Amino acid sequence: MASKEFNPFEMAQAQFDKVAELLNLDDATRQLLRNPLREYHFSIPVKMDDGTTKVFRGFRVQHNDARGPSKGGIRFHPQETVDTVRALAMWMTWKCAVVNIPLGGGKGGVICDPHHLSMQEQEHICRGYVRQMAKNVGPINDVPAPDVMTNAQHMLWMLDEYEAIHGAKYPGFITGKPVGMGGSLGRTEATGYGVIFTVREALKELGIRPEDTTAAVQGFGNVAQYAIELYLKLGGKVICVSSWDQADQCSYTFRRKTGIDLQELLKITDKFGGIDKVKAKELGYEVLDGEAWIEQDVDILLPCALENQIRGDNVNKISKRVKIIAEGANGPTTPEADKFIHERGIFVIPDFLANAGGVTCSYFEQVQCNMNYYWERDEVLSKLDVKMTSAYLAVSELARKRNLYMRDAAYVISVSRVAQACKDRGWV
Amino acid sequence: MIQEEKNISLPQFNRNFFESEESFSWIGTGSFGGKASGLAFIKNIIDQNINQEEFPNAIVSIPKMVVLRTSIFDSFMQRNNLFDFALNEESDIRIINEFLKADLPVEILGDLRTIIEKVKAPLAVRSSSMLEDAKYEPFAGIYATKMISNNQPSLDIRFNKLVEAIKFVFASTFFKASKDYFKISSHSVNEEKMAVIIQEVVGQNRNLRYYPHFSGVARTFNFYPTGKSKPEQGVVNLALGLGKTIVDGGIVWTYCPEYPKSPPPFGDPKDMLNTTQTTFWAVNMNPIVDYDPTKETEFLSLNNLQDADYDNTLTHIASTYDVRSNKIVMGVGADGPRIINFMPLLYMNEYGFNDLIKKIMKVSSNALNGPVEIEFAATFNKETDKLHFGYLQVRPMVVSAEEVNLDDSELEGDDVLVASNRVMGNGIIEDISDVVYVLPDKFDKKFTQKIAMEIDSINKILVNENKKYLLIGFGRWGSSDPWLGIPIEWGQIGGAKVIVESTLFGINVELSQGSHFFHNLTSFNVCYFSINYDGKFAIDWNWLNSQKIIRETEFVRHVSLNNPLKIKVDGRKGIGAIKK
Repeated sequence: MASKEFNPFEMAQAQFDKVAELLNLDDATRQLLRNPLREYHFSIPVKMDDGTTKVFRGFRVQHNDARGPSKGGIRFHPQETVDTVRALAMWMTWKCAVVNIPLGGGKGGVICDPHHLSMQEQEHICRGYVRQMAKNVGPINDVPAPDVMTNAQHMLWMLDEYEAIHGAKYPGFITGKPVGMGGSLGRTEATGYGVIFTVREALKELGIRPEDTTAAVQGFGNVAQYAIELYLKLGGKVICVSSWDQADQCSYTFRRKTGIDLQELLKITDKFGGIDKVKAKELGYEVLDGEAWIEQDVDILLPCALENQIRGDNVNKISKRVKIIAEGANGPTTPEADKFIHERGIFVIPDFLANAGGVTCSYFEQVQCNMNYYWERDEVLSKLDVKMTSAYLAVSELARKRNLYMRDAAYVISVSRVAQACKDRGWV
Repeated sequence: MIQEEKNISLPQFNRNFFESEESFSWIGTGSFGGKASGLAFIKNIIDQNINQEEFPNAIVSIPKMVVLRTSIFDSFMQRNNLFDFALNEESDIRIINEFLKADLPVEILGDLRTIIEKVKAPLAVRSSSMLEDAKYEPFAGIYATKMISNNQPSLDIRFNKLVEAIKFVFASTFFKASKDYFKISSHSVNEEKMAVIIQEVVGQNRNLRYYPHFSGVARTFNFYPTGKSKPEQGVVNLALGLGKTIVDGGIVWTYCPEYPKSPPPFGDPKDMLNTTQTTFWAVNMNPIVDYDPTKETEFLSLNNLQDADYDNTLTHIASTYDVRSNKIVMGVGADGPRIINFMPLLYMNEYGFNDLIKKIMKVSSNALNGPVEIEFAATFNKETDKLHFGYLQVRPMVVSAEEVNLDDSELEGDDVLVASNRVMGNGIIEDISDVVYVLPDKFDKKFTQKIAMEIDSINKILVNENKKYLLIGFGRWGSSDPWLGIPIEWGQIGGAKVIVESTLFGINVELSQGSHFFHNLTSFNVCYFSINYDGKFAIDWNWLNSQKIIRETEFVRHVSLNNPLKIKVDGRKGIGAIKK
């Protein structure tokens, strides 16, 4: 798991600095883009079920909105820090830019552990969060979405509070809502499917058939589950997944060399993506250490859990067979590990490209909400595929033409788009 | 299958396909289906054998197409849990609606959207099932082909129309007509898998109608040779507009390619005016079309000859009737009613068309090692001044080889129930004791649709009892025009082993021409007798009426015979007799 010294914001800034250098950005643009435009830090007092009052800390960071309203999720996590939120907001800016959707980057978070909160307490946090932020978010300036340990229900509570405060219906305020309540079909699958759309294109470029490949997946939440689903549909074989065990407070890797059965595992998985290890053993899975996923002899690694998972201390465990790493999670690879991977010649699909399916579909949701007309699932997912594929091809083409590392190529595209928008607006 | 599919070596779809030189591409795995594998097989043969030097005025190609192989159908059915519903539901409309609600496999959506992004011309979404078009597997024409105009300004709308069309074709696997077929075939509907062809429609847009100058079906074996022509010289049907007119059994121009200048037997020019094509199908490019994704013809329009005249598309295919001289004048130079007789093309051999079709028939037949049926569509291109010939389909024909000797003398006598010198099929049948016939004194063209339903109900009973029967009726069987005959689907008369078609009272229409109908007749080895109601060979109605009536509806009677009929058909002479 993440070391205590790890600071994602510093990592995000380091990545940006490298690209700013590549693009030869002027100082003002560098200063503007290496820090958020705005930050909100606030307290959310909540009456708990036992009658006591507890105060939770919340954040909302709007990194840059030169290309459109800020867009980014709200995370509920006990180890939340503002630097994590800052980094994630910055990555959202790059992510929206790389898939060329007219949105900026934002992120929010609340320091809390939903595992230990009743639904009512979580509702109070959601509503409290919106009461604090109602003036500074909304369909035309900052559009939140679900993220780590928040879901469609949380979004609906937040929407309800927002509409109560503003006295009108604003379905475009927030995305990730339930289908039928302003949500978009295909949103649930979007991030995971998006990861695999890019993997599919990478395999085509490498001349490898999906059905000839195997993969190891870290995480078993929403992103991982749908990434696995589509990867299996393409004919690939997943030999292991890792997941967090709430009781043991550590993660485990569940391996079956003949291939995991997604539906079978889903039946023994809790709503947070935790797999029941006793039942998994009964089904013939080996239960290994949480980090074992990284050392599997596979063609594709799909880190789809949290940031800071592929680090200097474990990167050399990656098998020689691995050809592609597609980052389903945000910031799973540290710069130190990234350097190693680059040198090894492993093909990396960087996080803000690989997992941009979620925000792309959120954008679709917002478009649908704003016109109050909803598309069929086929239509949503076809648009997602085309958007993701086009973004991937633009990045890989630039990487090839300028002999850049994929991550750098993706950054070059997105940072230059955002820098240009700032310039066009006359900010710098 | 026409050939081993493993031998098909064609490129997988990539999103630049429509900008490439390739004309054939595929998505998914599994079978290509009969139609697509036929085209894949013939593609190189046509490329190699039809060259520019020999035919400088024509360009022959297979229109650009993408095949969704059967794994897409499998995924669609499984992921949406559609099998139980589709197999058990009887209403076509309900099946279509359920299929329209279901999701296509996510893996193909981006590719489909790219197709729509790149192509703005009308598309044909065609069935290519595993059993369809294969030799001895008479599933031709029972599944849907849906044309979409694909000209809406919104990419989203065009995408949705394509998706709806694909689902419609998938749904057609389970339509009642298809299930009826399976009841009489040796297969079960569970075995069937549907590939889908997405193909550019051959044609040009004129005044919101998109259609080829003409479409055609060429058969290298003619079951109904007329005049000097012989069965092995083949036959070609031509029609203005989309090929739907031909496959539906509408009025078309029929000729033998060895004698392109010999017209079908018409009494006088006026006759020709009345009995040649007067309407044609086109893709409806009107921006406002009634929304009905459950309808195969949602984006089609049936037009009159005047429309084609207005579109200026008749120059090479029509003649004009001169009222004052009661003569037919080739071409459309003069004013007057137009007659679609393809005279400029056939008399003058414009663009070398007749030579071209003969060569294509020969090459295709050689490639498939036997008689074949080819569908095509063609346009005259003003810019290139060439005939653009689109090769749309090829399938093998079944021609029975059993030797049956029948003398003309056997066609007459008291023991003959029916005889004819225009008979299709070949062989001896001696196990039929049931006859279903349309009552001649009750028959009325106004009620042909009702008659079709009555026959369907009796057919169902006999199929369930596993009884083959002799069917006798008036007008064209399987006609899409209820005024020309009984508009029945093949599956609704699937229990008939022998069919008799008598012309209508006093009206001499051409015999059944529906290409799918023919393919099914031959594949099921059904014998088909054609007689003129008031001609030499009459039906012994008195004898029939004296037989034991099993059931009778308003227009149709089912009788059971004490002894089985003795049916003999000499395929080489095209004569046959049914003896009491």
